[in-house]
This record gives sequence, structure tokens and C-alpha cells, in this order.
Amino acid sequence: MPMLELRELVKHYQLAGGEQVRAVDGVSLSVSPGEMLALYGPSGSGKTTLLLMVAALLQPTRGQVLVDGRDVSALSEREASRYRLSELGFIRQSFDLLAGASTIDNAVLKLLKTLPWREAHARVAPLLERLGLGTRLTQAAETLSMGERQRVMIARALSTEPRLLLADEPTGSLDTQRSREVLALLRELCRERQVAVVLVSHDPLAAGYADRVLALRDGQLREHQVETELAGGAP
Amino acid sequence: MGLSNLLHFYRVRVRARLLQECFAALGIAAGVALLFASQIASQSLTSSAAQLSRGIVGEATLQLVARGAQGFDERLLASVRSIPGVRVAAPLVEASANVVGPRGSRSVELVGADEALSALGGTLVRHTKLAPFGGIGAIVLPAPLARAIGVTKFEAPATLQVAGRVTQAPLFEQLSAKQVGPLIDSPIVVAPLFYAQEMAGLQGRITRVLVAVTPGHEAGVRAALVALAAGRLSVAPTSYDETLFAKAAAASNQSTVLFAVISALVGFLFAFNAMLLTVPQRRRLIAELRRDGYRPRAVIEVLLFDALVLGSVATVLGLALGDELSLHLFHANPGYLSSAFAVGSSRVVSVRSALIAAAGGMLAAAVAVLSPLREILSRDPLASIQPKEGVPGLRGARRLTAGGTAALVVTLAILLAAPQLAIVGMISLTCALLALLPLALRAALAAIKRVAPAVTSAIPHVAAMELQASMARAVAVAATGAVAVFGSVSIQGAHADLQRGLEDAAHDMNAFTDLWVSPAGSFDLLMTEPFAAGAQAKLARLPGVGAVRLYRGGLLDWGPRRTWVIAPPSEAAPLVPPSQLLQGTLARATTQVRDGGWAVLSQALADEHDLHLGQQFTLPAPRPVALRLAGISTNIGWAPGAIVMNAADYARAWESPQPSAYNVLLRPGASAAGVAREVERALGPRSGLTVQSAQQHAEKQRVLTRQGLARLTQIATLILAAAVLAMAAAMGAMIWQRRPRLAKLKLEGFDPTELWAMIVLESLILLAVGCVSGALFGLLGQQLLDRALASIINYPVVRSVALPTALAVVLLVVATAAAILSIPGYVAARVPASLALQD
Repeated sequence: MPMLELRELVKHYQLAGGEQVRAVDGVSLSVSPGEMLALYGPSGSGKTTLLLMVAALLQPTRGQVLVDGRDVSALSEREASRYRLSELGFIRQSFDLLAGASTIDNAVLKLLKTLPWREAHARVAPLLERLGLGTRLTQAAETLSMGERQRVMIARALSTEPRLLLADEPTGSLDTQRSREVLALLRELCRERQVAVVLVSHDPLAAGYADRVLALRDGQLREHQVETELAGGAP
Repeated sequence: MGLSNLLHFYRVRVRARLLQECFAALGIAAGVALLFASQIASQSLTSSAAQLSRGIVGEATLQLVARGAQGFDERLLASVRSIPGVRVAAPLVEASANVVGPRGSRSVELVGADEALSALGGTLVRHTKLAPFGGIGAIVLPAPLARAIGVTKFEAPATLQVAGRVTQAPLFEQLSAKQVGPLIDSPIVVAPLFYAQEMAGLQGRITRVLVAVTPGHEAGVRAALVALAAGRLSVAPTSYDETLFAKAAAASNQSTVLFAVISALVGFLFAFNAMLLTVPQRRRLIAELRRDGYRPRAVIEVLLFDALVLGSVATVLGLALGDELSLHLFHANPGYLSSAFAVGSSRVVSVRSALIAAAGGMLAAAVAVLSPLREILSRDPLASIQPKEGVPGLRGARRLTAGGTAALVVTLAILLAAPQLAIVGMISLTCALLALLPLALRAALAAIKRVAPAVTSAIPHVAAMELQASMARAVAVAATGAVAVFGSVSIQGAHADLQRGLEDAAHDMNAFTDLWVSPAGSFDLLMTEPFAAGAQAKLARLPGVGAVRLYRGGLLDWGPRRTWVIAPPSEAAPLVPPSQLLQGTLARATTQVRDGGWAVLSQALADEHDLHLGQQFTLPAPRPVALRLAGISTNIGWAPGAIVMNAADYARAWESPQPSAYNVLLRPGASAAGVAREVERALGPRSGLTVQSAQQHAEKQRVLTRQGLARLTQIATLILAAAVLAMAAAMGAMIWQRRPRLAKLKLEGFDPTELWAMIVLESLILLAVGCVSGALFGLLGQQLLDRALASIINYPVVRSVALPTALAVVLLVVATAAAILSIPGYVAARVPASLALQD
């Protein structure tokens, strides 16, 4: 069974002048556990709208968002919060780390909702170790490099052991070398933990690490033509 | 950079951050308003007294003044006029009086003068001819006073009660503002000299001669006047009254100055908080300008232009607000001072006050705008946008803590060894508070982090981390509350201690009689106006009356002080106020004063004349007398100082048998109210005397003291209100700016209720740290002020630790600000999560 399945997903907006915008227009797709799907698209193609619907932050006009077989598009606010907390991981381009707080304190943020501090720390420390931050656990977040900060974000997203991971431009602020490292890590973790990953990006490098690449244009899915040089990016 | 370019730059930018600019302007305006209003309040009384004094004396530079209410022989005037170099010598009769009309009564200063006074050109009589009604016997009243008592028509009678005499005086003229300018609000009644003498029972006597001297003859005239005075009158410059008033009002004015400083600081912190909101934009602007090749100087010009516009708008708004505040809230109330000085309640707005407040506003704007100065001057054009949010370096923190500790040590040293430097002490204490506040906040966060692991919730962790992440802003917000609570607790605590001390003094001063019978008017508060005692025997025969004794008292100008002389009858018990004695034993001092030739002086007087117990001194009374020091007391509630002696010694020194009150003692079982009615009946309606029980008199003193000190409470309340608004506004804006971060937390699975709880917890931490620190320092400030009041001005202060006040203030501020903040917090917690994906 696919971990994520979108069925004829539609989101229309009505502009002030009465004009209707079809942000997402009949998208259907599925992502299996351990699969990494890269979603490309120019600005305004509907990527963010799609992510918001998957994260149960926006209700679709029509269609269904099935996560592990359950439709998350009609959850109550409280249920949606619980879903995002325990079943979903979200990685973004911006590093929402709290300055002054340590690496591990930033990484345990989600876990603290359900676990006592010590247990949360005990659970996240090996993950940070795995992400190469073992020596930086107590270091203040603002002293980390950009690549390290992104890895803290990955640790936070994976800390609750979600089955679905959404990554919105995760390499947007990184140089090529750091981007490769992060993408490789994501792919590795996705396979190792059998997490379904939807990776939204402008970065051509991402295609080389994904199992499948799709393009979103004017709210509709299209096959994506991967440029040869990019495909060679993956090891 | 040209002005038009600067304007263009400003216009473009202000459009993008209009709300923040408005908020910043409001913050600075609040500071300017508080500073301006409290300055007006502190200067109005002094200026009002000075205006009246100058309005009377005109060009006169010297004066010959009687030392008692009985004045001196008017034939001395001829001798003064014959001194070579005397250009004008104007005789005056001045007496405290009570003027009564159909609409009410007022305590006034009766001024009797002749045309010589007009020759001096003083504002009071410059446009008033004293001659036309010279032969009639009538009075002139300032128009507001005439309206207040309901005597406005020509020849309408006003009842004038002076020295136990009652006269129906017809109104000759109302003085308009055009005629007397700022003196229009003065509590004064002008009458021809002969008529004033008649009303005051001072026929053939005058109380003062004003002397205008031909240039170059000052020294000669002064020497001749001193010779004429023969040690029984005082020769002084005409500014002497201003000096006396300044000394009497010093305590009140100093406390207002202190409040003005605290107000300014709260206002500045308000503005600073507001400016912090625009810091990100300003930093970006600096980086963009530097990147585009602008030199640091050009960037500073751009920012200073910002400050100029912001400061100007805020200053104009602040001055207007401050003017309104001083009109409707910060009333100048002469309180106790009206019993010894003719002082109105007019509002005096000086250019100086406006300039100081405006300069404060402009400075606040410039400091706030130029806060990233180091980055502007940096070689790295993008230094202003390099990430450096977070905890200041350990070195900086250590420096702050060391500086704060040093300031605290300075304060403690002042408290223990130099209370006369109380204002400096309060400033150093404020500095210590501000410098140590980051330490307190860090300690609070550390404590929360220590406790948080025991709780299975992300709320305390996130709240602590969020605060740590924006430490500078958190400290600025907490500092606003801290300073306001500090000021409020210290002043309200000291105020309450002083109030209790004054009530004790009032209790002692009313303990030796059951009824007071004295001339009507505000001066009956101190019982200082003499009257002819013709009714003693009649009153003593009334049923219920055990005894009627003569109490004497007056005001004596001794050096720069208008002292209060208290002279109870020898039989009075207690003769020396027991709760007020600081040095000497009560029993011995009482015996010595009762036996005569001894007096108790307040500490400041004893210190000023370097007197010790048992030592002899000469009291500069109308007939200087030698007395010995029986004890040293507080000032018994009268700031310039008090002297306690027996009534017989007083009569000898003042060369007058007149009492200033009858002390009526009741027979056992007699009711005070019933006997008071009997006494009133016996005196008749035309006695000019009022009857009040000791309790009523003590209550009157308490009310007047409270009125005099009410301004402090008003300012404290206003500062607290401003601080609550400032903190709520700053924190509200902080919360609003954090919406994208809150949206990101929503993405992580936090629901709105949890986000709201985080916001409320953060707010509570900031408020609690700020307010509790402020309250603790405020308690220390209270001790400092108590000590200053007690040892410098010798006020009777009942020292305490104002814990209940501190708790109440902290709870009030925290609860109000938290309640206000919960609303933007609630709205912000409902931020759409899509905001998180828009960056």
C-alpha cells in the first residue's frame, strides 16, 4: 500500500476580481514507503499548495489526500496537529533553529510534546550522531554551519519517526557539495527507515537522488525531463 | 547628501514601515509627555510663589521685615526714606487671612499698600491705582478668586477674617489677567494700607518696607537698614521669600524631579522597544546603502534624518500630551505649604521645561536610530545583516554584571553613609537594575530549563528557547517593567512611610488638647496666626470645659528656613511630641522646656547652627532670646524645621501676649461635639475663630498632607500605566512579528492552544522577571528615600519594607499586561501555517 496517495486533488482559489485560479488541478500520485519522489516546478506552479494539503494545513476543493490509507484532508485542527506531529516530518529551506539553544535542544523540539526531556534527548542523540553532529550536541545553533543547521532540521523532522517526510527546497541555501551531502543523507535515511519522501525543489541536483521525478506546471503533473548532467549527480 | 534626496529616501522607506514608525513615535511621545508634565508640576509651585513675590516687590532689592505678625512701628518708614540712596521705600502690611463670600471661602494673603508700591512697578499693582479707593476702605481681588467666593460686583461685601477679627470689606475692583498677568491665580487680597492695618488690628504698624536703591548705594543702604533694625527686624534681599519657599518646597520638588527622571527613562525604554521593531529594516537599509557604495557618513546622515523626523513628530505630540496631562492630572497642589506661604495653584509652563523634554525626545530618537552604529562604521558593508542574534558574549555579560554590582555597591554606600546623595543613589540603583537585569533573566531561564525536564511538554522549553534567542529584545521589554515598578514601589513605599510618620506627628501635636479654637484659614493648620485673647475667661466658664489654655505658635524666618515655632502652654502634656524626639530624653526635655529657657530644635536646624544638647543659642525672634537645647527632634512634618518651646517663652520673645489658639480641655464625660457647639455659640459669629476637635484637626492635617503628596501617587500611577502599555505594545508587536515562526511550529505539529500557551508563558516570564527585579530594587530605593527624608529633611518617617505594596504593584502590572497580551497572543496563535512556506 502506498504511504501517500493523492486522488484527483484539486485546489481552486477565487481572486478578488472574481477570477478563478486553479492552483492544483486534478493531481493524482502515490509514494511508497522508502521511495523518494522529487517534484519540480517553477514558482506559482502549485507546489506549496500541494504540500499544504498533504500537511493537512489546507483543505482541497476536491479530491483526497490518503496517508497510510487515511484521508487527512478532513481532519479537525487538533487531529491535524497530531498527524503533523507524529506521522509527518517537514524540512524547509529556512533554518528555523532557535539561536542560543543547543543543537540537541533544537532537534528535540517535536519530541518534547510527548516525551520527558531526558527521554527525548536519549532518543535524538543517536540520530544526531548518525547525521554527523555527535560532537556538536551542546553547541549553540547559531554557531553551526549552514549544512549542519540543515542536518539539525532533518534530525528534528525525523525525531518522531514519521512515515512521510515533506522536504521543501531543503538545499536552497547550500552550496553544491553540502547539497549533495544532504540529498544523499535524505535518500539513505528514507531507505533505511522506509520513509516516503516528497522532495519539492528547484535544485536540478535533487533529481539525481530521487527514485522518481515529476514536474508540476500550472497545477498539473507532467513527466519531468531530467537533464543528463544532473542525473549524474548521484553517486 | 542633499535634503531632497534625504526626503525622498525617507518617504520611500516610511511607506514600508509606517506602523512601526507610528509605534516608535508614540513611545517617544509618551516619554516626552511624562517628562514635560512632571517638570511642569515640580516648577509650577516654585514659579507661582516666585511670581507673586516679584509681582509685589517690583524694582525693590532690599527689605526690612518684621519677625512676627505684630509688625513694627510705621514711623520707622520715615527713617528708611531718609537714608541716602533710598529711591523708593514702600510700606506693606501683610497678614494671612480668610476671605468668605456667598459661594465659599479661601485662605489668602492680605496685602495692604499705598501708592509707593506702585512706584516700584511690580506686576501686582502696576495697573491698579491704590489711591482712588484709599479713602473708602475696599478691597481688590483677582478675578478667579472673586468668582470662586461669589463676590464679583462693585461694592459687594466680602467677609475678611484676619487675626481673629472680622470685617465686611466691599469689593472695589476685580484684577484681570491683562492687569496682573501670571499673578491672576494668586491667593491674594489687595487693600489700601490703612484699611489693611485696620482689618488686621495693626493700626500704626507695618510688617515690611520694600526699598529700591539708587545704583551704587546698595552697601550703604543695607548697612543703614541693619543699623535701623537693631537686631529686632530682619534686613534681607527681596528674593529672600523665594529662598525660603525653595527650601520649604525642596523635598516635594526633588521627589518630582526623581519622578521626572524615572518617567523619562520609562519613556525612553518605551521608545527603544518601539525602535527595536524597526531594527531589522534599518539594518537591511544600512547594508543596502553600504553595498551600493554609500560611505558610513552618508548612512549616518540618512539615519539621523530618520531620527530628526521621528523625534520632531514625537516631540510635538509628546509636548501636547504632556500639556494635557499637567492640566488634568498633575495638579500643582500647595498642600501644607499654603499654611505658611502665599502660593497659588497656577500652572507655570516654562520654555526650559519644553526644551528639556524636547531634547530628551530628540536624543531618544537619535540613540535608538543609531543603535547599529558599530555596524555602520564597520569595514564590512554587510556587517549590519550578519546574523548575531542571541546571547551577548560572555565577556559583555560579565562586564554588565560587574558594572551593575559596582552601581549597587555605590547605592549601598550612599544609603549607609551619604543619604544626602539620595538622587544620585536612585540613579545608580536604576543603573544597577538595568545592568543586572540580563543576569536575572538568564537565571530565570536557567531555572526554567532545570525545572522543564520534569514536565512532559514542549511549552516551557520552547518559551525559554525563544526568549534566549531574542535576548536583547527580551531585556528591553523586561527593563521597561522593571524601571516602572522600581520607581513606583520605591516612591510609594517611601510615601506611605512618610505619611505614617506625619500622622504620628499630627497625633502628638493634637494630644495635649481636646478642642482647638483658632483663626479660620489654611494657616490654622499650623496654628501660627495670633489674635487678641479676650474670650479665655468666658470660655472657661462654659459647662463641660475643664480649662482653657493659651497656645502660641508662629513662623520664624531663621537663615534660609521659615521655621515653625510650636509653643504649647507649660501645663500641656505631652509638651514635647514623644514620637518625634531623636536626641535627648523625653522626661528631661519636657521638664526643661516646661521650666522655660529651653527649646527642642529639629535636627537640620541644630546641625545648621552646630548645636548640641545643653548648648545655648540665640533665637532670632522679634526680641532675640537666649535658649538652651533640650532635645533634637524631627521636623514634625514641616520641611524647613520646627522649634518647640513653652508659650511663656514665646510671649517673651515675640513681645506679645497674643495666642494663636485656645486649647480647650474638657471635663471628664463631656462630649467634644457638644462643648464645641457651646464654644462657637459663646464666641459668636463675628469672632473670626473656628472651633475644631483635636481629632478633626488631626484629620485635616492628614487630608492636607495626602493632598500635598497626591501628585506623587498620580505620577506613580501614570508611570505604571505607561509601562504596562509600553510592555504590552512591545510584546504584542514582538508576538506579531513572530507569526512566521509560530507558523513553522504549526508545521511541526503544535496546535494553536499550545502556541498560545507558549506566548503567554513567555510573556509571564518576561513580566515576572522585570517586575520582580524592579520590586526588589524598589524596596532598596524605598530605604534610600526613607533615609534621605529622615536624615536630610528630618521628616518623621516610620521606616518599613513595603512588601505588600511591591506585591500588589507586581501583580497588578503582570496581570494587566498579561491580560492585554493574551489577545494578540490568541490571534497570533491562529496564524495560517502557509505563512511558514512563504519565506
